[in-house]
Amino acid sequence: MNRFTHLHVASAYSGHYGVTRPEHLAEAASAMGANALAITDRDGLYGAIRHIGACIQLGIDPIVGVDLAILDDSAQPIGRATVLAHGNNKGLGWKTICRLVSQANKHGKKQATGLTIQQLASLVQHGDAESGYVAGATVLLSPDSPFGRLALGANRQAAQQALADWASHFVAHGSLAVEITSLLTQPGTEWSTTQALRLLQLADNLKIPTVLTNAVRYLSPDDALTADVLDAARYLEPLGMFQPQPNAQAWMKPHQMMVELANEICRDYRRATKLLDTTAALAERCRLNPVADCGWGKPRTPEKSALGIDGNPFELLWQKAHDGVHWRYPNISQAKLQQVQHRLSQELMTIHKLEFATYFLTVADVAQMIRDMKIRTAARGSGAGSLVNYTLGISGVDPIENDLLFERFLSTERTSLPDIDIDVESARRHEIYRAIFKRYGSERVTLLSMQSTYRGRGAVRDSGLALGLEDERIDEIAKSVWRFSAGSFRAATSRKPELAKVAQELENDRTMNLLVDITERLDRLPRHISMHPCGVILSDATLLDRTPVEPSGIDLAMSQFDKDDMDPMGLLKLDVLGVRMQSSMAYAIREIERVSGKKLDLDSIPLDDAETFRSIRTTNTLGIFQIESPGQRELTGKHQPTVFNDLTIQISLFRPGPMKGNMIAPYLDGRHGFAKARYPHPDLEPILKETFGVVIFHEHVLRIFNKMTKCGLAKADEMRRSMENPRKKPQIEEFFRVKAAENGYEPSVIEEVWGTLEGFSSFGFCKAHGAAFAMPTYQSAWLKTHYPTEFVAGLFTHDPGMYPRRLLLAEARRLGVKILPLDVNKSTDEYLVEKTPQGELAVRLALTEIQNVSQTEIKRIIKNAPYKDLGDFYLRAEPSRRTLQNLGLLGALDGVAGVTGASATDLDSIQATRGDVMAKIRQLNAVTKRPKLNPEQPTLDFIDLTDSLPRGNPSPSTETNVLNELKLMKMDVSQHVIELYRDMLDEMGAVRADELVGLRNKTEVLIAGVRVATQTPPMRSGKRVVFVSLDDGSGCSDATFFDEAQQRCSHVLFNTRLLLIAGKTRRTGVRGVSVMAENAWDLKELHREWRKRQAGRETLAPGEANSEVQQLSA
Amino acid sequence: MLRVDEAVEVSVNKEGQPIGFRWRDECYLVTNHPVRWFARRDWWQESERAYRGIGAAVLETEMWQLTATCDEGVLQFELIHNVLGNLWKLVRVYS
Repeated sequence: MNRFTHLHVASAYSGHYGVTRPEHLAEAASAMGANALAITDRDGLYGAIRHIGACIQLGIDPIVGVDLAILDDSAQPIGRATVLAHGNNKGLGWKTICRLVSQANKHGKKQATGLTIQQLASLVQHGDAESGYVAGATVLLSPDSPFGRLALGANRQAAQQALADWASHFVAHGSLAVEITSLLTQPGTEWSTTQALRLLQLADNLKIPTVLTNAVRYLSPDDALTADVLDAARYLEPLGMFQPQPNAQAWMKPHQMMVELANEICRDYRRATKLLDTTAALAERCRLNPVADCGWGKPRTPEKSALGIDGNPFELLWQKAHDGVHWRYPNISQAKLQQVQHRLSQELMTIHKLEFATYFLTVADVAQMIRDMKIRTAARGSGAGSLVNYTLGISGVDPIENDLLFERFLSTERTSLPDIDIDVESARRHEIYRAIFKRYGSERVTLLSMQSTYRGRGAVRDSGLALGLEDERIDEIAKSVWRFSAGSFRAATSRKPELAKVAQELENDRTMNLLVDITERLDRLPRHISMHPCGVILSDATLLDRTPVEPSGIDLAMSQFDKDDMDPMGLLKLDVLGVRMQSSMAYAIREIERVSGKKLDLDSIPLDDAETFRSIRTTNTLGIFQIESPGQRELTGKHQPTVFNDLTIQISLFRPGPMKGNMIAPYLDGRHGFAKARYPHPDLEPILKETFGVVIFHEHVLRIFNKMTKCGLAKADEMRRSMENPRKKPQIEEFFRVKAAENGYEPSVIEEVWGTLEGFSSFGFCKAHGAAFAMPTYQSAWLKTHYPTEFVAGLFTHDPGMYPRRLLLAEARRLGVKILPLDVNKSTDEYLVEKTPQGELAVRLALTEIQNVSQTEIKRIIKNAPYKDLGDFYLRAEPSRRTLQNLGLLGALDGVAGVTGASATDLDSIQATRGDVMAKIRQLNAVTKRPKLNPEQPTLDFIDLTDSLPRGNPSPSTETNVLNELKLMKMDVSQHVIELYRDMLDEMGAVRADELVGLRNKTEVLIAGVRVATQTPPMRSGKRVVFVSLDDGSGCSDATFFDEAQQRCSHVLFNTRLLLIAGKTRRTGVRGVSVMAENAWDLKELHREWRKRQAGRETLAPGEANSEVQQLSA
Repeated sequence: MLRVDEAVEVSVNKEGQPIGFRWRDECYLVTNHPVRWFARRDWWQESERAYRGIGAAVLETEMWQLTATCDEGVLQFELIHNVLGNLWKLVRVYS
């Protein structure tokens, strides 16, 4: 007898339904002795490629299908069906299933995913009445269907009729079967043996084939608990509030159990055998040939016609690449030209051998299109190592100047597809996607999807929901889950100080124990599918026969396959990544031109500007691409970069690998002359000179391999990749040792170099990638140095960095960039650069910063500006009461109301105050109905309302203003928030961030500020170290918490915003100082106590300021 | 129908199907093909833990429906079989 094949199996990629990853299902099936296995995810082919890949590895046949809702005529789900693609029919079955899934998902979230029975029938059957129909797939009608439910009742006739009606749509042989499933539920209920038997009899009466499945949604019975939790997440209801799965029987039962189940259902050995035989026959028909059916591993680029080419694509590529030489190297010497052309030819030959010419032409075409749209682009990744990419305009980094290798990017030794990533302005990314779709046609282009998985916090949240915990409780626990995978939640509670409370509750709280248990179960399960942030798939006109699509958030079709599915399926992916920094820089350039008329080409600025490097070396790197994080700031202090290549090195060094591998210290020692650079052999000196003997880049490894074994750079890159594979490493070692010895290297040299390479294998970084990143780093630093106001405006508008906006404000203050307050006559939805009457440049705050103001209101305010007075604004901009109030509090109406602030304290002055504005706003907001703007019929009310301001109201204090700004804009515009605590801090003798650099090592200090970053980078020792950065208006200070300090400060370590930290200074470099924390306190709490004590001493009445401090803490 | 909640001693055949049991000092002999099914449990209300590998017994219970006779006559029974301790419990009796 045939081994049983499971034909209805949901994997974990059935979002919030399936429990087990495709790979594990395939392994288990293979271990059970099955020679084929189906994957039938809900609503899509989300796990199909992983399934096929796993089956190929295991040597079993993949079967692919989908589990879909059947919809009635008003698009309501009335049941489910599983559709299985037929195989070995030259892709007909695969195409059928792809197109069918795309059709079922066509309406996105607007309508239930699924198909009517008529649609299903017409999509699985091909042909016409005359020449006959052929099935591309089989539809399995599930017990979960109208006739399945009717079969449970007394009226068998009605059930029979319902099934016959559905079956009448399927004429092609093998297009329909009835699924027989028993989950051994209570006799007479759904999914019971009784129901299964009745369905079998109904199908037999109508001569419809039947197949046995177990409607699998998890691998083993134990996983059913996880399925319960996923159900809760899907229904968004706690367990107990919805109809749960009937029991734990929907697991992947082994052959023998399925045979017994068949006998139990049929109660007739012969019928049971027939049921199993039909199941095997369908499995046979559905076995897929990955290559012939699915196009496995066959890359397909757009047709020549789609690119507008006739003739030989390679000749065209050759021509274009050579034409680019003159553009990229205008006044090139003859010798250099020869070098360039030699390398270009070598690269082109490789591309030719790999038959990737059309691919490069396509990417070049896209890059050109983006430039024509006047959008900033930059390449990233190993592609920057290619001269072809440089001369085609795909990349902006000169690979010769930066000493980059093509072989790291592409070589004939490797068959995987090239990966070219293009960074563009994030704000205009969708524009580019639309242009690509338009240019190549939606039949050749799709977006890429992305499966996000459950991590710590998400897992806690959904588990908490399932158990019906209160939102605040879930929130509290989720917030304490910090950077560890949910899978080790219980273990983490005993290790991490911030989980001490959870650990305590685990001792006697049942719900907490369940929460931890099910959170661990959810760990790493796929959670939901979304649009990949940058991937675009480009192919020929058959693309939609090979990938199912669904609508994305931006109404362009998105493939259901994710980035890991691309290479196996031979799909060519282009990453067009939105980078906010590119938008910020484009914005700055636009503002420079708008305000001063100066046209700036950022891509041709000199890369050796001394002033730019001087400014980087101050370590005030906030806002500069890639090097603004606290760690990079510290490294900048130690490293003190002076040339472009330094930036490439610094960006590459600040990675988990080099940090763990302790590569930073030897490099810095060599650089600052504390230690003499050491080279294992003089031959390696030219290769490692730039990093003082330290191996940092993949390119170093390639060159060392090549130098010592003469293997060629392409082979060297293969060896580098193989080093990461423990099975292949011994061969590489053997090869290296033998060849290096043949080339005359001493055993001691070979030993030492091999040791380095071995240690390096998992750490390194591709220099091309570092250099590509260093370009925007340099460009942003250059703008910050020479055009700080415009640059800050760009940062504010596009928010590229890791820090909150209020820190940017502090940095602007520090830079001396003038910030202008909100003004309804001048502010827009961007941070505009303005020339003040004094001729200074300044940044005007944008209206978008105000919390709780609708887009429509902002648009209305901008559209109707300017306003002549407050009444005019009230009538024409039609702000809501809250918006009017908030605008007033933030001073946005001071301008229209004629408040200058010049003599705000003088109550007798003729000058209006913000207090007067607020009084007027109270009057306006008291009016029940805003009068319509109708100049012909001015009402008395109207005149009163728009009349002059009431006078004599005092201006609010600066403290009040700061608190309002923080509350309404999350920015302290008038003054740094720390100033509210200055009285206490001065008394305590707290040190300001910019004073730290002048202190001696190990000075005891108190530092205070607003938390701007918390990081727990990987450490060589494996112990956790917490870095907290504070901003106090004078700059940023960094505090390091080791074990003991973490224990002591656990209550404030991760969640408190305003902190006071005590510790000792630790010098880390020329301009590097950090504080070794010993203790930390909640600054607000401390200040409250301090005030109380002050009040006790001076019997101060609880004043305005005190209540404000409490307000701030609320 | 009578709801009960009493432990009973059950004899089973080699397939694990009940063939007879003792209840309230009477011997009952199973006369039909007993039907086994699985009912679910609200583990989130009953269970102390739910860790990976705890087993499906937290979530589902094996149930048996059968007809049995004794001197008094023929009755239908519903039994719970706790697989973990091989304990049987009689829960419902229908006449």
